[in-house]
Amino acid sequence: MAAPMELFCWAGGWGLPSVDPDCLAVLTYARFTGAPLKVHKVTNPWRSPSGCLPALKTEEEGVISQMHQIITHLRKQKYNADYDLSARQGADTLAFVSLLEEKLLPVLIHTFWVDAKNYVEHTRKWYAEAMPFPLNFFLPNRMHKRQLQRLQLMWGDSCLEDEEELEKEMYREALECLTLLSQRLGDQKFFFGDSPASLDAFVFSHLAPLLKARLPNGKLQQHLKSLQNLCDYCTSILSLYFPWDGGEWPGLEPPAEGTESEEEPHKRRNQILSVLVGLAAMIGYAFLSGIISIQRGTPGASGPRPIALEEEEDEEE
Amino acid sequence: MSLVAEAFVSQIAAAEPWPENAVLYQQLKEEQILLSDNASSLAVQAFLQMCNLPVQVVCRANAEYMSPSGKVPFIRVGNQVVSELGPIVQFVKAKGHSLSDGLDEVQKAEMKAYMELVNNMLLTAELYLQWCDSTTVEEITHPRYGSPYPWPLNRILAYQKQWEVRRKMKAIGWAGKSLEQVFDDVDQCCQALSQRLGTQFYFFNKQPTELDALVFGHLFTILTTQLTSDELSEKVKNYSNLVTFCRRIEQQYFEGHDKDSSASARSSKGYLLS
Repeated sequence: MAAPMELFCWAGGWGLPSVDPDCLAVLTYARFTGAPLKVHKVTNPWRSPSGCLPALKTEEEGVISQMHQIITHLRKQKYNADYDLSARQGADTLAFVSLLEEKLLPVLIHTFWVDAKNYVEHTRKWYAEAMPFPLNFFLPNRMHKRQLQRLQLMWGDSCLEDEEELEKEMYREALECLTLLSQRLGDQKFFFGDSPASLDAFVFSHLAPLLKARLPNGKLQQHLKSLQNLCDYCTSILSLYFPWDGGEWPGLEPPAEGTESEEEPHKRRNQILSVLVGLAAMIGYAFLSGIISIQRGTPGASGPRPIALEEEEDEEE
Repeated sequence: MSLVAEAFVSQIAAAEPWPENAVLYQQLKEEQILLSDNASSLAVQAFLQMCNLPVQVVCRANAEYMSPSGKVPFIRVGNQVVSELGPIVQFVKAKGHSLSDGLDEVQKAEMKAYMELVNNMLLTAELYLQWCDSTTVEEITHPRYGSPYPWPLNRILAYQKQWEVRRKMKAIGWAGKSLEQVFDDVDQCCQALSQRLGTQFYFFNKQPTELDALVFGHLFTILTTQLTSDELSEKVKNYSNLVTFCRRIEQQYFEGHDKDSSASARSSKGYLLS
């Protein structure tokens, strides 16, 4: 714990400190426990030490990649939000996390990444605008394919003939899951009383993007908005724990500036370099194939011409 | 199912009472069935017993392929076929039998959450153990899975299934886990279940619910199945209230059911909870 740990996570958007539920969960948990983390918000997953986000760089254990493992590591470092929970509440935490992962997460992935309208108009647009050139051309598509594959594996190897019905069934279960969460939360401030626990981090990280993103096709979103206590719960966590982050990314201009100024020298330099290389290649080819010849004066003039003459002689011979 | 189809099916379901000749299909008990499928099948049998609905267990080598969703067990009631515990519970509810009616909303939420916990952790751990741990795969899974079929079909089917399961493990992030971590997860899950059960007879009030059936199915199978090592069953045996719970349900619902002996273990001697 001598040097602060470094967390690489997706940048924020739509009023949230991070757009990715996994990164958001880690960030929220760190805020809840007051863990000293140096947060690097990136829009380029290749900049993270492990190639994917979120990633926690620690001194003792190198780079840790998965959300659950990061949170376990933080817990081992004595940043434990579940310290005050009774054993029964700890059991409930495990159960509700499983519920979220089985019922809500697949549908969230579907809403953001697979649903055609949402993906094209919202998710892909955000990622393409946020990522640096030239990654924005192929990385969102690659992520899309990966999420689609993940979804197909999670949802079943079975019923692929009946995709529409499977979809409806899954959405129904997700709506039920939201309702169940709402009932479990009731009037309380957090799931287990007055202080937040890891379950709150998980629930918040899954609900907040759904609540805040401006999705064109939002069945799930509408249902969530109808559950007033969940909406209030999300907004209160945002305002309590991320008061300035929430306003940091109202659109894309401030972050665009932020990332751009960070990468500006490289971006500019890359652009100039690529233009120069292109020009040099064209000119070189032009010279080599004889399209252009420089007529500098007598010494220069005699240069290319004798060569040309020699070539003709060779050809004649 | 779409809303219209669902309404249609539940109307039909509600129209007829539970017949005497309902059948539950699973794979061959002695030679073929694997740990995870046995657990799921036992859970369904326990649930139907708790609802007092008679069902006959029939073993078929191709049960997995007969099932509408590809998973066992499935039941045939009248001319309808339903597979997996979740849809079966709903189907039975449409017929007017339900174990969870007496629960309030918060308890229903908890019940669903704990069922997901068992599916998420226990079932996945069972699948991991039987398809991703090389010792178990070689000694138990491959020989059993393809046993009704001649060579080379048995090997092909086994490899195909293994490939599928491994892909799924990768998608949910379990591929990178070591066996130790998997056992730790099982331990965590059992601890959570043990905490929730406490000293009660069943998980909710004094009546069993589908959660009890599911937990019984998995824990009983883990306790009574012989694998290459005893570590999995040791993890469960650490929690005495879970062991007592399994014994109680077995005595109450499966004693005197000798003809299909659904509670007898897969291993030949049926070494019981000692």
